[in-house]
Amino acid sequence: MTTRRECLKIAALAGVASGLGACAPLARRLSHRGFAPIALPSYTPPERHRFLNRIAFGPRPTDYKRLEELGKAAFVEEQLSGDQPEDPELLLQLSRLDVLRIDGIELRDINEDEMLRQLQTATLLRATYSQNQLRERLVDFWINHFNIYGRKGKAAWRIPGNDVWIRENALGKFPDLLAKSAKSPSMLMFLDNFYNEKGHPNENYAREIMELHTLGVDGGYTQKDVMEVARCFTGWGLERGFLKHRDSFSFNLDRHDNGEKTVLGQTIQAGGGQSDAEKVLAILSTHPSTARHISKKLCRFFLGTSETPWVDSMSETYRSTGGDIRLMLKPLLLSDDIATSPAMIKRPFDFVASSLRATDATTDGHKPILRHLAEMGQRLYEWPMPDGYPEKTSAWTGTLLARWNFAIALSSDDIAGTRVEWDRLPKGEVTRLILGEDRSLGNTDRQAVALALASPEFQWR
Amino acid sequence: MSKRDWYSCDGYGQVKSRRKEGVDRMAPTIGFTRRSVLTGIGIGALTWLSKGSALSQIAVGPRPGNQVVVVLFLRGAADMLSLVVPYREDAYYRARPNLSIPAPRTARSSVIDLNGQFGFHPSLQPLEKLFKEGQMGIVHACGSDDNTRSHFEAMSAMERGLARQEDGPGDGWIARHLATTHPSTDSPLRAVAIGSTMPDSLRGATHTVLMESVKDYKIAMDQAEQRRWITSELAKMYGPGEDEVAKAGRDTLDVLSTLNHVQQPSSSGQYPDSDLGRGLREVATLIRAKVGLEIACLDKGGWDTHVGQGVTVGLLPGLLDDLAKSIRAFTDDLGPDMSKVSLVVMSEFGRRLEENTGLGTDHGHGSAMFVMGGGVKGGKVYTKWPGLEKNQLTGPGDLIATTDYRDVLGELLSERLGNQATKVVFAGYSPKPLGLFGAST
Repeated sequence: MTTRRECLKIAALAGVASGLGACAPLARRLSHRGFAPIALPSYTPPERHRFLNRIAFGPRPTDYKRLEELGKAAFVEEQLSGDQPEDPELLLQLSRLDVLRIDGIELRDINEDEMLRQLQTATLLRATYSQNQLRERLVDFWINHFNIYGRKGKAAWRIPGNDVWIRENALGKFPDLLAKSAKSPSMLMFLDNFYNEKGHPNENYAREIMELHTLGVDGGYTQKDVMEVARCFTGWGLERGFLKHRDSFSFNLDRHDNGEKTVLGQTIQAGGGQSDAEKVLAILSTHPSTARHISKKLCRFFLGTSETPWVDSMSETYRSTGGDIRLMLKPLLLSDDIATSPAMIKRPFDFVASSLRATDATTDGHKPILRHLAEMGQRLYEWPMPDGYPEKTSAWTGTLLARWNFAIALSSDDIAGTRVEWDRLPKGEVTRLILGEDRSLGNTDRQAVALALASPEFQWR
Repeated sequence: MSKRDWYSCDGYGQVKSRRKEGVDRMAPTIGFTRRSVLTGIGIGALTWLSKGSALSQIAVGPRPGNQVVVVLFLRGAADMLSLVVPYREDAYYRARPNLSIPAPRTARSSVIDLNGQFGFHPSLQPLEKLFKEGQMGIVHACGSDDNTRSHFEAMSAMERGLARQEDGPGDGWIARHLATTHPSTDSPLRAVAIGSTMPDSLRGATHTVLMESVKDYKIAMDQAEQRRWITSELAKMYGPGEDEVAKAGRDTLDVLSTLNHVQQPSSSGQYPDSDLGRGLREVATLIRAKVGLEIACLDKGGWDTHVGQGVTVGLLPGLLDDLAKSIRAFTDDLGPDMSKVSLVVMSEFGRRLEENTGLGTDHGHGSAMFVMGGGVKGGKVYTKWPGLEKNQLTGPGDLIATTDYRDVLGELLSERLGNQATKVVFAGYSPKPLGLFGAST
């Protein structure tokens, strides 16, 4: 924070009103690439509260006890394993969802709205009640990293399959996620790669795989690389044939540009067929820019900043372990740096899940609560651009009113299918559960819950 | 870390200090102590579930007439070569054997001629009247210096008011406009974004909120006393903080208090039942309500037509149909009030001249902008047309941008909103007016 102090001092000396002030270069450097300096709250929550807000979708009343019993190291290990048994109640709720029970072609009988509704329900229930909170946080991270717009083409019917490999690999190795994504029906469709054929190749996927999925926009690729990668991916598509294989990945050599290509300085020999793009995936997966880009994004997600030495050490772990996400995250989660890291705004999904967790509410995750989420601006699976829901604070501060109305409705038990379990909450102590410390808010527990959830502090994690 | 500190030191705007009176101003209207409210509705039964009378809505008289700018951003890079077709160019037809629109009067569905050189896509027919009656001008072959051809980089650059994505102020160009002009009223609602997430152009702006509908912008409690109680509690919680959320909370409370007094004016427009149609209807409502609105931002997505773009039916024509009908409904709805309103339509970049094998187009460069409404010297295509032959293109075969998009926005701000500091708004760039404005209205 010395930079800020210095900056203020210089500004004071120079006179604030002197047009482009003396600190402009400094401010510019800090706001590099569009990340405006965000005014963060002066309030810092107790350490375990912040920890549970980062590793989990906020604390449930029982989490504090669990954390205390196990100690932080064992708690982190448990979460990193990602294989904690789930509560029977959650499994029962999930088993009622057709999108999770039924496979492939049978889903065609369900309409798009209902598909997306059930997917949203499943994701909200898991975020709220899963014992594998870190895994679910990462599922949210990867769903956005490999974002699919559920209303393009037939995406809605392809997303259930997507969520399976994302969840299985959320704590696995990044190259596996990338390879699964490249061959997934949802991504082949969403970024138009299944239309990509020789002649005038389609650049959509080629650009986004480098810009968003791997290297990052500053990762050192050119327009020429985009065009060459597009050529490598020509012929990738989906099986259109008979029921059983329909919609699985297929490669069509007739549509493939089998000439020689150069990608990021590496020659891909002519005649490679399907292996051309597989080589591209290998080049991208092992590229230092990818290690850095993924590390930066993970740091922003868990630490609220990518201006940290953790980026270097995580990139190094990426390189030495072949992109092992579990190993990249472990030292960060065990460190004390999360407690002192900058606050991050909760996206609406995070706000809703953490509200339900803090108040030990029960929900069916059905339309009434999803409507609240939509009003806050985050209909899950409905972000139309390939970059995923924004992380930046400024994107979300405009819909505070919808959050307040949710806080009022939840505390009034006015959301059908959702109920706060008042009997389970310790009387007069609800603010501690929600904000991590006792606050005097309202005159009843209901009022206290409404105000605590609506408070500025609860919007940060 | 207060954002204001950064403003003070980077000098990009004489940002007024946050109006503390914003919260204070609410106090008299609240006028209920928590105790009296609680007594009134019974402590034991307080669950806020009861459905009761709504606060009677009071209409307030008109404020002095103000100018309003509406910014409509077409996200995903609209194929402007299909919106405003350079139908004289043989190169256009050569590059697009499947996706070109037939020259005027050469087919049943063909280009609508505008000036003997350019013409509208047939789906933009509802806009023809606006252009021909001089209420709409077009700037063609314009854009930024972006050469990443990334949606996100290009949008971010434009919304920050920069030439390309680079170091520079991190807030939005509209935020800097608001910071460098005095509000014509004491409105808490100088700018509004219609939609579900705040656009970057408003990043860092105060007196700005996001809403989907004016009617639904309220505390969802039925009893006025309950609303007043929670509002006063929220004002207490959001009063002191200097962080982004606290500031946004105060803006929200101010706007709630203002809109409380707005009677929803009836709308006469035939808006399409689409996000854009509904959004423009809300903007018209706010304009007519005279709440001191200066800038409204809307988005329309779906323009990334890499595949199956369509010619006169399909993806793009569907988007254009909604675009044209929504805009036309808006201008018809506002009628004479449109003389106080300027609507600008923009997109992050254009699309490749040559079509791809998926009957779509890839990311290109030069784009076009539409300007409509009060004071526009319309009926004209403003362009230094670079041509479409191979040696006249840029990068992988894209239209060159010969006009900086900031020349259009800068003139809009100075001519219509009286901004004298457009160089600050555009981070050191001095916009060069094209003479788009100045017609008497």
